[in-house]
Amino acid sequence: SVAEIRAGFAAIKANIQARDPIRTHSILSHPRSLHKVKSSDRCCITHHLFDFYVDKVFKHCKTEDSYVNRKISSIANSFLSVRRKLGQCHEQNQCMCGQESTEKFKQILANYEGLNVTSAAMKSLGELDILLDWMEKSR
Amino acid sequence: DALLPAPQNISILSTNMKHFLTWSPVIIQGETMRYSVEFQGEYEREYANESWIPISECSLITGTVCNITEDISATVAYNLRVRADAGARRSEWGTLKGLFNRITTSLTPPVLKVIADGYHLLVDLEDMGPAFQFLVLYWKKGQERRVQQKVVKEVRSVVHLDTMEAGADYCVRAQTYVEAINRSSSFSQTQCVRAQGDKSMWLV
Amino acid sequence: SGELYCSLLNPRNVRFESINMKNVLHWSAPEGTGNGVLYKVKYSIYGVGKWIRKPECRNINRTWCDLSSETSDYEEQYYASVKAFLNGMFSDWVETTRFNPLTDTKIDPPMVSVSSTEKSISIILTAPEKWKRSPEEESVSLLQVYPGLQYNVSVLNKKTKKRWFFSISNHTLIVPRLEPGTAYCVSAQIHVTTPLLDSGFSKEHCIATLKDK
Repeated sequence: SVAEIRAGFAAIKANIQARDPIRTHSILSHPRSLHKVKSSDRCCITHHLFDFYVDKVFKHCKTEDSYVNRKISSIANSFLSVRRKLGQCHEQNQCMCGQESTEKFKQILANYEGLNVTSAAMKSLGELDILLDWMEKSR
Repeated sequence: DALLPAPQNISILSTNMKHFLTWSPVIIQGETMRYSVEFQGEYEREYANESWIPISECSLITGTVCNITEDISATVAYNLRVRADAGARRSEWGTLKGLFNRITTSLTPPVLKVIADGYHLLVDLEDMGPAFQFLVLYWKKGQERRVQQKVVKEVRSVVHLDTMEAGADYCVRAQTYVEAINRSSSFSQTQCVRAQGDKSMWLV
Repeated sequence: SGELYCSLLNPRNVRFESINMKNVLHWSAPEGTGNGVLYKVKYSIYGVGKWIRKPECRNINRTWCDLSSETSDYEEQYYASVKAFLNGMFSDWVETTRFNPLTDTKIDPPMVSVSSTEKSISIILTAPEKWKRSPEEESVSLLQVYPGLQYNVSVLNKKTKKRWFFSISNHTLIVPRLEPGTAYCVSAQIHVTTPLLDSGFSKEHCIATLKDK
């Protein structure tokens, strides 16, 4: 559940964000904040972002810390089960992808590809609270 | 050095979202056997080259039980394995037969105590952890069709349900609900109490 | 060696302390330094490329700096940094961890007002307001910031010493059918489920139901 993702992230937030020295670059929130996304595009962007984290991010976040690795596994597996629920709304066609969400997601991928893969993955993981805050605010 | 036999009879005991892995001891005369446990979620199987993750609290332990609750923290299928070590000798991995998904945990009815305090109907619920909510049903005896309900998300000793009519009997029963697996327990036994106005007494 | 030692030890424990989104940067003086150390402060919005100096916190000798105004957009995240200097020596810039006002603030207990009749007490709860720049500025209740905000209310019967708990979403609670001429003490807490935030319990407000006529 999303609450479990948040609890898992809270447990490792300081550790993960400390591994990201780049202050001037964000994957999710700049140049255009997630909070500017139209409500009609939210489901599609959420769906894209869950795919993004599962397919691209988690696998490059292995650390030397066994506790952190276990929490990342917990978050990654929770993403799979939440994504499954999101998939149901996608199937019922309530998840239209408009022009804006496509542009926004392209921006996120460009931000991600602008860094080397490990830095980009660790930065994305460190920004999970940005994603969760946005998801919960727009619920 | 002959290989140690892999641990056998690996199984999971899961009740109320608390999950324990157990196995039979590997017995070699004169040797102290130690065991290590690893898990693999659906994510690791499908997206991370079928990698396994060690559980540090269950690395080189002498017992044959491991609390895996912290790591089984998503509603997906998990694989689990155990191996034995004795000195320099090590066994193959013994793997759980079939995958484990916490959705199969057994949910027991909540333990509760119903209290009449003057004209007030209260319930004292057992704290079962953050994953649990409670659906509490209550009704005035004789008016079984007009059942009222209250969802209790956070247990804090005595929870106020409602005010009662003087001298009337009220009955209560409850079930747990776990949002993470979208399942409920069966209902508890019904407990009834009488509101002040008449001799307040305990009725079953 | 003859090398001129120009650096000062760093400020320590640089962190945001936030209550109701009044976000104040705090730090401790460099170890072993007495009075006379001065500081300057800068901050940055995470993901934006520049550090911004805070003029009101330039050459200050106190060890805090109010950055509430600069960090009031709680959809952003922030870093802040402090540098110490003394007699021509200066420390490194020392940064906070990433600060997320939405999840990293603490919430005050709600305001509780209680009135009573012969057999009931009425409780009115008011959630604290988000910090604002000036009294003239429009107030924003934390209820608007955290839509899932709930109240946990504790009611203690001073005679029987029994305590009841209520969980409510709206801000009023009437507890009827109480004993006349009895003192009840009420305290309340704010509970937010996502993100998980709990205030402490307010101090107890005691009131007696009126005596039987």
